[in-house]
Amino acid sequence: MTSSLLFGISIFVYFFAMVLYVSYLAFRSEGLGKVATACLWAGVGVETAAIGLRWYESYQLGIGRAPLTNLYESLVFFALTIAITYLILERKFQIKTVGAFVAPFPFIIMAYASLNPNDIQPLVPALKSNWLISHVVTCFVGYAAFAVSFGISLLYLFKSRSETLAHGSSGMFLGYVPAADVLDEISYKTIAIGFPLLTIGIVTGAFWANVAWGTYWSWDPKETWSLIVWFIYAAYLHARITRGWRGTRAAILSIVGFSATIFCYLGVNLVLSGLHSYGGGQ
Amino acid sequence: MSLNQEVKAKKTDFTVRIWDFFTSLKLVIVLLLVLSVLSIVGTIIEQNKPLQEYYRYLQPSTVNLFGKLGIFDMYHSWWFISCLAMLALNITACTMNRYAPIMRGLRKKSLILDENLEKTLNIKDKVKYGLPLAEVEKKALAIIERSFSGKPTVTQLEKGEWHYFFEQGKYSRLAFFFTHLSVLLIFIGAIIGSLFGYKGYVNIYEGEAVSRFETRAGKIKNLDFELKCNAFRAEFYPNGMPKEYLSELAVIKNGKEILLKTIRVNDPLSYQGVTFYQSSYGSRPEKAQIEVRNQDGALRGIVEAPIGQSVPVPGTNDMLEVADYQEHFHLPDGSEGGAAVGVNIYRENAAPIGVWLAMEQPDYDKLRRGPYQLLVRDLRLKKYTGLQVNRDPGEATVWLGCLLLIGGILCAFFVSHKKLWLCLKTDKKGRTELIIGGMTNKNRSIFVREVEGIIQRLKEVA
Repeated sequence: MTSSLLFGISIFVYFFAMVLYVSYLAFRSEGLGKVATACLWAGVGVETAAIGLRWYESYQLGIGRAPLTNLYESLVFFALTIAITYLILERKFQIKTVGAFVAPFPFIIMAYASLNPNDIQPLVPALKSNWLISHVVTCFVGYAAFAVSFGISLLYLFKSRSETLAHGSSGMFLGYVPAADVLDEISYKTIAIGFPLLTIGIVTGAFWANVAWGTYWSWDPKETWSLIVWFIYAAYLHARITRGWRGTRAAILSIVGFSATIFCYLGVNLVLSGLHSYGGGQ
Repeated sequence: MSLNQEVKAKKTDFTVRIWDFFTSLKLVIVLLLVLSVLSIVGTIIEQNKPLQEYYRYLQPSTVNLFGKLGIFDMYHSWWFISCLAMLALNITACTMNRYAPIMRGLRKKSLILDENLEKTLNIKDKVKYGLPLAEVEKKALAIIERSFSGKPTVTQLEKGEWHYFFEQGKYSRLAFFFTHLSVLLIFIGAIIGSLFGYKGYVNIYEGEAVSRFETRAGKIKNLDFELKCNAFRAEFYPNGMPKEYLSELAVIKNGKEILLKTIRVNDPLSYQGVTFYQSSYGSRPEKAQIEVRNQDGALRGIVEAPIGQSVPVPGTNDMLEVADYQEHFHLPDGSEGGAAVGVNIYRENAAPIGVWLAMEQPDYDKLRRGPYQLLVRDLRLKKYTGLQVNRDPGEATVWLGCLLLIGGILCAFFVSHKKLWLCLKTDKKGRTELIIGGMTNKNRSIFVREVEGIIQRLKEVA
C-alpha cells in the first residue's frame, strides 16, 4: 500500500460522493442522502490515511516533514479541509442539499492535483520552520470555509431567483433546498469562521517572514493577494453587520471573495512571481 | 438670527458633514475596495525593478508617466499611503463615534422583568408550580447556574415579586475597540519601524569581521560591536536541492567574544536590537595556481598567484595578475561556461591585456593564439555569507496589534453579551409562577436554543 494508491482511491470515493449528493438533490430520498454523507466521510477517511502515509513515507525516505509544502500537497490538503468543513456544517445546519454544490470541489481539486508531480521532495532551508504547519493549516481551513460559503452563495442565487419567480412552490430541486434567507445566514456564518482563520494565517505568515527574511511585510504578490482577500471579506462583514447587506449583494461579495481566494492560492503561483514560489508547479 | 449665529450654524453644519463623511460606513467599504483594486495593480506590475526592465515591455512614455505617478513603487506612493491614512482616520472617527453607545450597552442593566422589557426579549416563557416559592427558587437557580455562572442581581418588589438578573459576556461588547484599534496599532508599529528602524545588507568573508554596513536607503551604519563570520557552510541533499545554509557568527565587543551562534534560514541572530538573517552566500578567489604552457602544449612552468598581486610569467618578462572571478562565466557565443578567472597580463613592449580563463575548458586560452597559453590548475576560494540586517523598533507594537486583532475578531464573532431574567411570584391560589426571559446581542439562534434547554429543565421541576 502506498500513499499514491490511497490518493487515487480517494479521488474515486470523492467522485461517488459528488454523484450521490447530486442524485440526492434530484431524487430527494433520505436513504440516498445518508449514503452521500457516508461516502464523503469515507473519502475524508481514505484521504486522511493517504496524507498520514505520505508523511510516514517521507520519514522512510529520510526526509521527514509534514506533507504541506508544494502545489500537489497543498491541493490535496485543500480538498480534505473543504470536505471536512462542509461535513461539519452539514451536520450543524442540516443542509444536505448544499452538498451538490460543495461535494464537487474535493473531487475536482483531487483530480487537478493528480496532474501535478507528486514525488516527495525534501524541504529547502526557507521552509524549515515550526511556523510551516500553523501557517498552512490556518490558511487552508480558512480557504475551505470560503469555498463552502461560495457554494452556498451560488445556491442562494438560484434559490432566491426561483422564490421571486414562482411564489411559494418552486419547481425542480430548488423546492427541496433550504429557504433563501437560511442559506444567506449559513453563508455568513461560514465566512465568520473563515475570516478569523485567514487573519491568523496572515499573521503567522507575517511572523514567519520576519524570522526568515527579516521583514514581516514586503508586498510580495502572495502577501498582497491575501490582504486583498482579507479586505473583500472585511468589506462583506462590515456591509452585513452595520448596513444589513443581505441576500443577493452579500452572495455576490462572497463569490467575489472566493474568486480572489482562488487567485491568491493558485493564480499568484501560476501567473505572478514572488517569494512564495514553493507552491508553484515545476 | 444674527449674522454671527448664521456663520456658526454653517460652520457646525460643515463640521457635522465632515464628521459624517469620516464615520460613514460607505467610506470604509469604498476604501477597502479601492485598496484592493490598487493592490492588484501592484501585483501585476512588478514593483521596485530596475528601470531598464520596465522599458523592455512598456513604451518609454508610459515608463516615464508610471515613474512619475510612483506606480513602480506604488505601495510607498503618496496616493496609496493617503488611502491608508484615510482608513486610519476613518477607523479613529468610527471608534470615537461608537464609544458612547458601546459603553451604554455595557452599563445598561434592566434588573426588573417588566412588560416593556418583555417586548424586546428574544425568548420568554412562563411555568407554574404547585411548590412553595422558596423551593422553586432553590431549584431554578441551581438549573440556571449550570449555564450562567456568576451571581445574579436580585431585586425584591413590594408586591412580593422576586427578580433575578443574570449576565454573561458583557465585555465582548468591547471587541469593536480591539478589532479596530488593533489596526491602528499595526499602522503605528509600521510607522515606528520606518522612521526609527533600518534594513540593510552585508557580506562577511570567512574569518573576517564587520562593524558597518550599508542600509537600503544607501546610508552607512556603524555598529558598536563587530560581527565576525567564523565559517559558512552550504549543505545539499543527494539530489542537489539545498538543505541548509549555516553561518557561524560571533559578536565581538572591545576585542572580546560576547556571543556565538550558528545561524540558518529561519533562525537569525539578534544583538542589541539588530538582527542578522541568513540571506545569501558566495565566494571570492584568494589564490590561484596557473599553468603556463607553450602553444604546442609543453609545460613551461606553474605560477602561484595570490589575488591582486603581479607575478612573473616563467620564460618571459611578462607579469600576470589574477584580478577577477566569475562563478557563471558566459562564453563569447553566449553559452554557460562555468567558473572563470580574470587575468591581466602586463606584457613587455606592449599594452596590457585582460583574458578570461574558463576553468572547465582547459584549451580556452589557446584560442587567443598568444605566445603562450594559460590555464587554471587550482583556485582557492574564500567564502562569504550574505546577511540581511534589520532593526525594527516598531515590531513589538505590530505583534501586539496582531494579537489584539485576532482576539478581537474571535470575540466579536463567537462571544455574545447574554442576559437572562427570572421573575418569581406567588399567585392568589398559592401557586408559584416563574417567568423567564432572555436577550442577546448576537448569535441569537444558539442563545435561544440554550435558553430553551433551561426552560425544558425548569418545566421538569416538580
